[in-house]
Amino acid sequence: MTDAARLDALALAGDLPGVLLDARRLAAAAPGFHGRRRAGQGEAFWQYRDYRPEDGARLVDWRRSARGDRYYVREREREAAQTAWFWVDPSPGFDWSSDPKRTTKLRRARTIALALAVLLTRGGERVGAIGSPPRTGPRGPDRLALDFLTPARDDAPPKSCVIFLSDFYEPIETWRARISAAASAGATGALVMIADPAEEDFPFQGRTLFREPGSHREALIGRAENAREDYAARLETHRRDVHELGAKLSFPSLLHRTDHAAGPTLALLIALVSERFA
Amino acid sequence: MTIGPFLFGAPWALAALAALPLLWWLMRATPPPPQRAQFPPTRLLMGLHTDEQSRERAPWWLVLFRALAAALMIVAFARPSLTPTATAQAQGGRTLIIIDDGWTSAPNWSEVRTAATATIAQAERSGAPIFLLTTAPTIPARDPGEALTAGDAKSRIARLEPKPWRPDRADAARRLAQTQARFDHIVWISDGLDGPGAHALEQVLQQRGPVTVRIPAHTGRAIVSGAVTPQGIEARVRRAPNGEPLAAIAAETADGRALGAAEVRFGPTELTTGARIQLPPEIAARAARVRIVGEQSAGAVHLLPAGSGRPFVGLIDPGGVGQPLVSELYYADRALQPYASLQRGGVGELIDARAQALILPDASPISPLDRAALARWIDAGGLLIRFAGPRLANNNDDLLPVRLRPGSRALGSALAWETPLAVAPFPADSPFSGITPPADVRIRQQILAEPASIEQAHVWATLSDHSPLVTARQRGHGLIVLFHVSAGPDWSDLPLSGLFVEMLRRTLAFTARDAGAGERAISGGPYVAQRVLDGFGALAPPPPDLQAVAPERFALAQPSPATPPGLYERAGVSAAIDAARNDETLTPLTLPPGMTRAGLDAHIERPLAGWFFGAAALMLAFDLFIALFLLGRLPRFARASTAALLLAGVLFTPDVRAQTRDDPTLVIRLAYVRTGDVRVDRTSASGLEALTQVLVNRTAVEPGPPIGVDLARDNLAAYPFLYWAAPSSPQRLSDAALANLDHYLAIGGLLLVDTRDAGRTANAGARPAQLMLAGVDVPPLALVNSEHVVARAFYLMRSFPGRYASPRLWAETASAASARDGVASLFVGDGDWASAWAGEGGIDDRQREMALRFGVNMVMVALTGNYKSDQVHVQTLLERLGEQSR
Repeated sequence: MTDAARLDALALAGDLPGVLLDARRLAAAAPGFHGRRRAGQGEAFWQYRDYRPEDGARLVDWRRSARGDRYYVREREREAAQTAWFWVDPSPGFDWSSDPKRTTKLRRARTIALALAVLLTRGGERVGAIGSPPRTGPRGPDRLALDFLTPARDDAPPKSCVIFLSDFYEPIETWRARISAAASAGATGALVMIADPAEEDFPFQGRTLFREPGSHREALIGRAENAREDYAARLETHRRDVHELGAKLSFPSLLHRTDHAAGPTLALLIALVSERFA
Repeated sequence: MTIGPFLFGAPWALAALAALPLLWWLMRATPPPPQRAQFPPTRLLMGLHTDEQSRERAPWWLVLFRALAAALMIVAFARPSLTPTATAQAQGGRTLIIIDDGWTSAPNWSEVRTAATATIAQAERSGAPIFLLTTAPTIPARDPGEALTAGDAKSRIARLEPKPWRPDRADAARRLAQTQARFDHIVWISDGLDGPGAHALEQVLQQRGPVTVRIPAHTGRAIVSGAVTPQGIEARVRRAPNGEPLAAIAAETADGRALGAAEVRFGPTELTTGARIQLPPEIAARAARVRIVGEQSAGAVHLLPAGSGRPFVGLIDPGGVGQPLVSELYYADRALQPYASLQRGGVGELIDARAQALILPDASPISPLDRAALARWIDAGGLLIRFAGPRLANNNDDLLPVRLRPGSRALGSALAWETPLAVAPFPADSPFSGITPPADVRIRQQILAEPASIEQAHVWATLSDHSPLVTARQRGHGLIVLFHVSAGPDWSDLPLSGLFVEMLRRTLAFTARDAGAGERAISGGPYVAQRVLDGFGALAPPPPDLQAVAPERFALAQPSPATPPGLYERAGVSAAIDAARNDETLTPLTLPPGMTRAGLDAHIERPLAGWFFGAAALMLAFDLFIALFLLGRLPRFARASTAALLLAGVLFTPDVRAQTRDDPTLVIRLAYVRTGDVRVDRTSASGLEALTQVLVNRTAVEPGPPIGVDLARDNLAAYPFLYWAAPSSPQRLSDAALANLDHYLAIGGLLLVDTRDAGRTANAGARPAQLMLAGVDVPPLALVNSEHVVARAFYLMRSFPGRYASPRLWAETASAASARDGVASLFVGDGDWASAWAGEGGIDDRQREMALRFGVNMVMVALTGNYKSDQVHVQTLLERLGEQSR
């Protein structure tokens, strides 16, 4: 990608640089990942060990050995790069916030995803948006951010880690199909449910016509304040369905509100996926 | 139709109130549109059964609010009005309304009329007949026995005007007594003042039914006397004890222009007080009446009739100080003091002061110049009253009604046969007709006219031997009146008698109050009304059927229908009958027990339709906000409206600069003389523009755009610096331009004359500066060197380059400009600086820069004078100050 094209893409991305900045700031405060803690193919230094007769003379670290009487061999840490795939909900309702001053769910999702990507690439792992090639290295998160702009696809590569970031308001059947498809290919991962506070608290009053963004779906509620409990019950049921679905297919889920800080959620997410990358 | 205290003008509109329930049902049936909300989990709400949805309606309070607004609108259409007393005093039956319609009611006339109309409206509801009795005399007198319908009564009230005389209640009582009718309700709308016959009327009224007397809060006031005095106009104002204690009186001319005013302040118990309007005599002479300001009644006007009033009379002073009792003018002065504003002085001085008449005693010498002025003044309508004397007896002149025989005729002297003669009765066509000459006035010496010339003059008075005593002749528009005796008592007893006063007064009736003074018929006869007062104190032409008033009745005439107050005239003499006489009594009306006393101001119908409409409109406007609030759009709308208000505020902020735009003194502007040579003027303009720009950029002086001035027409005083470039063919200045330029130089303006001819060979006789400044009061000039203040006012300069590198520059010498602290007013040079400032003439940048610096220095000199050359001494001054403090 030429620099000019990259700048164009950044312009297209709108606030993507801001998201990246947020993500790096978030990642700086997060616990991060550790390496494989095993000697093997890799770049990072792992340990020195005594020379054994079966080692070739080429393997001797002469600089270290010159300081003593023994021969040392330099071992590198084993690196088996895994790929973390991100699936960010593309529906218009996800790019929505009940208050113009508050960040949208989409932006928060990208922030969390990119923060995780920063941490993972720092640990040598690969990251990718489903439908785009995996990215690696310090520039990985940048490219991932651009990849988020291209339409996502549902087909996750096999035996990978897939992290779904969505509000999960689509019917449970849709999600079952989507997650099952990933699980049947051997993927595991996490479900990050991101919700706007208005969706959680349902602060509406009076006669209200609700309309789903980007769709013609409408619901007229005579007294919205009276519908609050029914709505909360339905939301609770739906969340539980999603949670059970994820737990069954080893996609543990966690809930994040956009009016809360992203740090704890990121920490929790790291905890959920770290065993895949340990 | 009345409901409670409300009266409805269009009660059928109230039927629309029946439609309100329909409105209620309609509004309940149509709910307001729902608020809209974007909500991603709408899917979860789908099919959520809320049973309130079908029953959702406009909230009851909103429906009530709108129904109330509609009800208000309907009530407003029914034209409601508030008549709080309508029910309280709804006394029907036969109603007698008595109205005091004299001038004493005029100040409260609208209340009187309203009270009468309200009473009629009350009586109208019971359908009973109404009787009307007005107390002021009229011809013919109205009969109170006539039963009127409400409509007739209302139209009579509408036509009823106050009369300019007082009510005659005795006559009203008599008229009422002639009818035997009884009344269920009697309302006496009174002026609140006692008067003859009030008691009789009260007695008659009490026999006829229950009486309510309506009395105004403040009774009318009157000017009981007024006079023009040497100090101004004095008037006495009278009030009843409940009359208002503060007033202002104003003097007016015949056509209603105010000449002056004074405040009248009554003490707490004072009923009559005087006030004086301070006016110089010649102004006071023009006063035609005095009135109480804001009080519209005939009694509040006092007429100052023209003839007997205050003409402005000049006494041509002979000069010198004499004994008062033998001075000629002393007697005329004393005689005219009450009737005229007098001033002594020379002929020219008095004519300039616009004297209407001049009295010329024999002793006063008249120069030929004065004589010509006097003749012109008489031709224009002046009145000259001359007195004979030793000087006139020997020196005839042309300003006389008759030709005089030289010498005088002495009667009853030691050497004469004749005894002193009496004044003959005045001929009928004389203005003095009607005055009876006293028998004891004797004429001892007179001056005689040529018999032939008497034919051409009017003889106003003769002696008993038919020799003329007073003759008059028109000259142009004016009149010359000659008394054939002297103005002092040495020739006759006339100046000592009352006859003299009366004769002079009637003579002064011919003063030039208008241009046609001389055209007035010289005759006596009855007093004929010229203008009469109406009840409100306005002057109007007299009614055509008004009889003339015989002189013997005039003095005793009271204001009445036969002799209405107003201005009358007889034999050219104006006189007045005033509505309020000197002995006018203004005392409050006392009521016997049994009469109800009420104020005049209560019974007013207040129309309420406007209030109802307004309230309904406000509610509908508020309803808009409610609707927006229900839609959830109020906050955004509120912000938008705030923005709109701010925008409106910005848009409608008046442009304060507009007021100051035309004042040339507010902004300094460099000016150049428009020479008429288009090319030179354009160069001057662009040169000064460039200089202005440089000044703005570099100095604290920020001039406006330069301006071209016309030396002959424009006021140069606003321009501190004036640049005058020589045109290609200089002309001599006009006189107006010369005067203007001299004035400009004298008041300290700075003129830079640029002959633009440096480097050219001077050919004698064709120097442009000589032509340009020909006639100007040019001060001595000296060549400007580098020590001059111009060389150091802002920039330090050695030479003053213009388009020519080293032009010569002369300036007014410091000694010549000593009146202005040595600041030169006039600079003359030949550098063609405007071209250099404008960058024309192919000069290099450095030279242009130096030229601009010179321009800056010139402007600095124009604005600060020699401030900079004083700065040279600062060091010395500071040292001296230091020495002093040490």
